[in-house]
Amino acid sequence: MSDSSKKTNAIPDKVIDLIVSNTLSKNGVDLEEIKGKLTAEQKQSLKELVEELTLQVDQFVDKPTSRKKDSK
Amino acid sequence: MSNWKCKRCSYENRYPVKNCKRCNNYHSNDSIQENNHWHYNHFNDATVFEDYDQFSSVDQHSDEVIWIKDSCNISVQTTDTQASVSLQVGLQLAIALVVSIVIGDSDRGQAVAQDIYQQFNDEQTNRQKIYIDNSNDVNIVTTDTDLAVNIQALLQVLVSLVVKLDVL
Repeated sequence: MSDSSKKTNAIPDKVIDLIVSNTLSKNGVDLEEIKGKLTAEQKQSLKELVEELTLQVDQFVDKPTSRKKDSK
Repeated sequence: MSNWKCKRCSYENRYPVKNCKRCNNYHSNDSIQENNHWHYNHFNDATVFEDYDQFSSVDQHSDEVIWIKDSCNISVQTTDTQASVSLQVGLQLAIALVVSIVIGDSDRGQAVAQDIYQQFNDEQTNRQKIYIDNSNDVNIVTTDTDLAVNIQALLQVLVSLVVKLDVL
């Protein structure tokens, strides 16, 4: 999996991949058919959405708080 | 529409609800079972049959005590729980959005989203007590690891979904 593989994940990527694949196939979702239906605009907005959320999660995991206090 | 009374807390719930709205107790009152369609096989209009709850519930409790006594130059940083919970809701909404865009807001789309959330039904309890007594120059940083793990897992699902769709 793309960019999340470079750091240690909570749950192995393979597990998540299998869960998602299994859920989609269980519900009879044809990925190829859906890929064809997605417009370039939709893909772009989804990409931006995921990138923003990834950034937020990274910030949260790396820096648990923004309210740093000075210890003088 | 008739009501049923929760066995545990006696709260009056409306049909069709499987779990009590107040205490989330599973509805299994024998006396009114004949009115409860959840116990029969002819409940055919449900979109998804779930093992336990009808919704994704992430039950979280956080308990934090910080006690500083007879000390100076103390710095304590703890996780902002509110921010993390809203981040989690944001991720769940994003997953629902992706599913809704790619599959459409149909029964099948709802089934897929519900199936994914079912994997995340869990209960987390975090208890944190920090005692600092008669100390000098102490710096403490704590992270609410359970919440972080949950959020990372939801992000992994979202990324996995969009990678499968060739978006990333």
